[in-house]
Amino acid sequence: MTEEKRVKKPRGVARLIPGKCIACGARCQSACPKDAIEMNEKGEPIILVEKCISCRKCLKVCPADALEIYFTPEERKILAEMEARAKAAAAEAEKMSAEEAALLAKLKEYRGVWVFVEQIAGEPAEVSWELLGVGADLARTLGVELCSVVIGDKVEGLCYESFAYGATKSYLIDDPVFHYYRTEPYYKAICYLVEKYKPEIMLMGATGLGRDLAGAVATKLQTGLTADCTGLAIGENRNLLQTRPAFGGNIMATILTERTRPQMATVRPHVMPMPKKDPSRRGEIVRESVPIREDDIAVKVLEVIDERKAGEVDVAAAEVIVSGGRGMCAKENFSILQELADELGGVVGCSRGAVEAGWMPAERQVGQTGKTVRPKLYIACGISGAIQHLVGMQQSDIIVAINRDRHAPIFEVANYGIVGDVLEVVPALTNRIRELRAKEGTGGHRG
Amino acid sequence: MLVVACVKQVPDTTQVEVDPTTGTLKREGVPFIMNPFDIHALEESLRLKDRYGLRAVVVSMGPPSTEVTLRKALALGADEAVLLSDRAFGGADTLATSLVLAEAIRRLDEREEVAVVVCGRQTIDGDTAQVGPGIATRLGYSQLTLVDRIDEVDLRARKVRARRKVGGWHETVEAPLPAMIAVVREINRPRYPTVPRRLMAEEATIALWNNEVMKLDENKIGLKGSATQVRRIFSPERAKGEILGDGLSNPEEAAHLLIGKLIEKDILYL
Amino acid sequence: MSSNAIIFAIVFLAAMALFAWSSFRRFRLVALGRPEDRFSDLLKRLGGMLVYAFAQRRVLSRPFGLNHFVLFWCFLILFLANTEFLFGGLFPDYVSLSRLPDGAYHTLAFIFDVVSALALLAVVVAFIRRAAFASPHIGGLSRDAVTILSLVAILMIAFFGLHGGKIALGSEPAAYMPVSGFVAGAFFSGASAGSLAGYINFFWWLHAIVLLGFLNYLPYSKHMHILTAVPNCFFRNLSRVKILPREEFKKGNTFGVGQVNEFTWKGLFDSYSCTECGRCSDACPATFTGKPLDPRLVIHDIKMNLLKNGPLIARKKTPVLPLIGDDKEGSIAEEVLWECTTCGACVEVCPVFIEHFPRIIDMRRYLVEMHAKFPEELLTLFDNMEQRSNPWGIAPAERVKWAVDIEVKPFEADKTEYLFFVGCAGAFDARTRRTTVALAQILEASGVSWGILGRDELCCGDSLRRLGNEFVFDNMARENIKLFADRGIKKVITQCPHCYSTLKNDYRQYGAELEVIHHSELIAHLIQEGRLKLDGAGDLGRVVFHDSCYLGRHNMIYEAPRKVITSATGQEPTEMARHHAKSFCCGAGGGRMWMEEPIGKHINVARVEEALEKDPETICVCCPYCMIMFEDGLKDKGVTEKVKVLDLAEVAARALK
Repeated sequence: MTEEKRVKKPRGVARLIPGKCIACGARCQSACPKDAIEMNEKGEPIILVEKCISCRKCLKVCPADALEIYFTPEERKILAEMEARAKAAAAEAEKMSAEEAALLAKLKEYRGVWVFVEQIAGEPAEVSWELLGVGADLARTLGVELCSVVIGDKVEGLCYESFAYGATKSYLIDDPVFHYYRTEPYYKAICYLVEKYKPEIMLMGATGLGRDLAGAVATKLQTGLTADCTGLAIGENRNLLQTRPAFGGNIMATILTERTRPQMATVRPHVMPMPKKDPSRRGEIVRESVPIREDDIAVKVLEVIDERKAGEVDVAAAEVIVSGGRGMCAKENFSILQELADELGGVVGCSRGAVEAGWMPAERQVGQTGKTVRPKLYIACGISGAIQHLVGMQQSDIIVAINRDRHAPIFEVANYGIVGDVLEVVPALTNRIRELRAKEGTGGHRG
Repeated sequence: MLVVACVKQVPDTTQVEVDPTTGTLKREGVPFIMNPFDIHALEESLRLKDRYGLRAVVVSMGPPSTEVTLRKALALGADEAVLLSDRAFGGADTLATSLVLAEAIRRLDEREEVAVVVCGRQTIDGDTAQVGPGIATRLGYSQLTLVDRIDEVDLRARKVRARRKVGGWHETVEAPLPAMIAVVREINRPRYPTVPRRLMAEEATIALWNNEVMKLDENKIGLKGSATQVRRIFSPERAKGEILGDGLSNPEEAAHLLIGKLIEKDILYL
Repeated sequence: MSSNAIIFAIVFLAAMALFAWSSFRRFRLVALGRPEDRFSDLLKRLGGMLVYAFAQRRVLSRPFGLNHFVLFWCFLILFLANTEFLFGGLFPDYVSLSRLPDGAYHTLAFIFDVVSALALLAVVVAFIRRAAFASPHIGGLSRDAVTILSLVAILMIAFFGLHGGKIALGSEPAAYMPVSGFVAGAFFSGASAGSLAGYINFFWWLHAIVLLGFLNYLPYSKHMHILTAVPNCFFRNLSRVKILPREEFKKGNTFGVGQVNEFTWKGLFDSYSCTECGRCSDACPATFTGKPLDPRLVIHDIKMNLLKNGPLIARKKTPVLPLIGDDKEGSIAEEVLWECTTCGACVEVCPVFIEHFPRIIDMRRYLVEMHAKFPEELLTLFDNMEQRSNPWGIAPAERVKWAVDIEVKPFEADKTEYLFFVGCAGAFDARTRRTTVALAQILEASGVSWGILGRDELCCGDSLRRLGNEFVFDNMARENIKLFADRGIKKVITQCPHCYSTLKNDYRQYGAELEVIHHSELIAHLIQEGRLKLDGAGDLGRVVFHDSCYLGRHNMIYEAPRKVITSATGQEPTEMARHHAKSFCCGAGGGRMWMEEPIGKHINVARVEEALEKDPETICVCCPYCMIMFEDGLKDKGVTEKVKVLDLAEVAARALK
């Protein structure tokens, strides 16, 4: 009986390409219609060959392209013969299903790139302007408007500022109820605007406030949200290609939100370049209001303390740390570190050696028995880099090492190293920054 | 009343390496650990248990091997552990994850009232910080993120007062219960398990809730329920360390070079 | 004296009954302790008892020990005299030395007389020493010391009074008792027979009462050691390495020692044997650098706690005084327990073989395992060890990074002879990596067949075990042993004395029979066999050698590293003031590496200062911890330009031909 039948098309079986699986969280298993995939304890798939129908669903969902369909050599031969015939059939399959058409139609309703302008007490977060910069590129590619969303209490000025940074339209909700940031009124206001005006892309700063808000908005709108993007571009079908680090920065992933709108993304401060400000630019302000009254909001902000003025130094939370070790030679020399830290908007930390020498208090100590830090910039001055110290700071984004000894282990983890005397190099750094600032006529760090 | 801690089991990303030639992740021997941020969430839930006599429940969504992490939570002091595990939950993004977790908390709440849900700030593998707000929004709980101190939980007045750490600011907020509180790592110093508790946890029963129990719409969970899809993965460019100038003979020049680099890298602003 | 004999019989019986009762009350408390086998190898035990208890070898290792030796033997000899005295008092008509044949009688009389004089002299010397020259830890003229020395002195004086009187009366011959004869001549020459009889009676009763009083005083004072020291030497731990037994991790068990009766009976017996001589205090690096820990006080506090709580525990009542607590609430302050480096100096010097630091680890186990209480800094260590099997929490892939410029082969069963167990410091610490490379060069140069485990290597767990985290150590040990068995590893080279001792000694408790060799032994052996030719590393200047605790005291390896230095440099190393078994810890052992040292002088600085006294150019160490501690100490003293620290392997590698 079987011999008389037409040669059956070899289907092959799915198989794992060794070393490529990233244990993404069992996407393949979840996609398999035949329960032919088990996960091992490492989170990698084990394909049950007898169950696999080579439907390729697992291949499609695999973010790491770690799965392939395997054919035996004989099977490959048959396949080659059948390929010609298959081509004709493939053309027919191109036809779009009705379901997908409906989805596309729905997505089409959403147009425009929005940037949420974050502010605390009327003071805007610079990241918002950076987002307008990248947002302008996206809007240009898509051929749509770049709009800012300004919500707050007496914040109309920010609309004009957003025009200066490239927005052409600004949605403004100005009401005392938005004086303090609180999740509930803010997310409701944004959802209201989105449902009314339907943007296709919504960008927010990946700040404490932005993350708090974006998570709530995306959940309410049941749409995709990609955090901490480092790259944004437009791909096919007007999809936003959102690139971000994953697995602790070990890999980069490009993420799409294909079936829902708006496509939401957050971006960390200082990741995108700041666009040029042009105060002459103008735009349209769309004033909106939402029916939220203070009495409806149960969350109350009781007190706000600006820690930057309180003088409290928290090494673990600092974004810039200038650290000194035994190589600083004396307690007095830490004042030059403080000067540099002041210019950089950072704090002074130290190694265990400096604490033991009695130069610095123990709460400033970074390392195995001190604090673990992860600042944007870590400058190690006169620190040799004993392992106890390295484990406390090597996750920093940028590490600068200044040490006399070229062979000091600190240089092994440093992005930039200066072999030299800290007592000469550090003041030179401080002077250079002051010199450049004097030239630019600027007062200091932003953010 | 219950305090629920949500934890995730994650690969220890500090042990993940990228093969320099193929650009793929070398995950061999990389162990799974409790997400370091969630350890602080669990600790805070245990402190609320100690302070207010709440019952501490720990909830995690993940593959069956997540049991190890839940046992660790029990060893640390949680009273009960629930594992949300099903093939249908796999491959979920934060939207689909928050649905399963929120529904699990709703189920717990039907049995015994939930006062507080504690989440970690973010995970080390995903880094999104979105699941906590997702849970709060879905359940209609007060949402308090970036909390670095819980001042008071008033069970009678059904209020919580906590301090949030936003940028360079601290704000004290009062919110009604039930509340979802996402904590930062600085909030506490986690405890260490005693041996008797470890031994007890080894034998404890962990409730397994799969989708037969949860009965969630398959189109809203797991891969199908995810709004985002990972399209491509590649290894990032890595900056190699470089020595700038000759700091011994010309410290000024070396300083100029470094400042230049910092400005170029957007670390320093003038 | 028959009526006297009746009165004395009553006094004697009462005193003996009282003594028996006091002793019973004391010693029954020892029985509250957990069981422990200290009866194995009886011949060895007896031999040790002779050498250490009767020949007083350890007592004599310090100059003043001679005085104690004299006193000890005087007591032993006078034990005979006093037995005769007591029974003579009970049965005056039957028991008397004079009933012996003349030769024996005269010899014994002479010996007793001279020995009593010696004892009196020793007591006087002891008085003077305590008053004038005592080390700070011995306690000077304490009430206890004055009481006991006075009692002994009175006993001797009474002896001479009694016999002097008898000689003057003519009832005993003067010829054989020179001292008593002198007393007779000097004090009783003019006395009448009647008054002499009175004196004799007085001194007889004085002697009797003081003797019985002394006996009854013993159980209530530190002089209980007169009763316990000899058996304590017999029951000593026969193995060099003092490792605690494994714990059984079963539900319902308790772990460590949090209540005094959870020590083993020997732990309690130790506390009764302490003479408070203060030698452990003198040797202890913590005590020496001004920290609250004093091993003598730990043992003393265990005893005081037992005396207070023991009777309650015996009656199944709740103890009133916690064993561990802060200084107001408990016998031993919690902080004190974390100051111990487990260097073993206390155990090494104790004349009666008390095991101090194992008791500290017992209590650490309790704090860590039952209450998760420990210094804050250790949380990171514990988590890193459990999650990543190394103290710093570094990714295992980094374990092979030391081998950038050198080819290393993985260990292969049946092909490779030795596993080079690199160790965590050897693999991760930048400074120690240089030692690792040096050792690899030596192994290559001598044609040793060696390989490594690379990223699969795990931490041995030493710090965890010393810190009392037995639960995690237990898991790590079992994992390691399984790994060794799976890979067919039988011979292991280590560069770290801590790995060495753990693999060799601690893992034996798990049935692992590994042949573990420390690199100092291996290099010495290779030189001796002619496989390694060294050519004089001339540029090292004066080399002082530091004995690591876990190499020297714990494992008795003293000469191998010295031989290597001699071969490599052409000259013998210079010794520090304290060396070999008396070596002073670098401060990092016992998990101290991972803790801060807020109180007192830093131990490593103290040791570095001691090294600097010898004006060296090179300090040679054999241990990564010592390396780190010495380098830190030299930085602290600001002499890194003048003095460098090298590992033994580096010293040898520099002299490679």
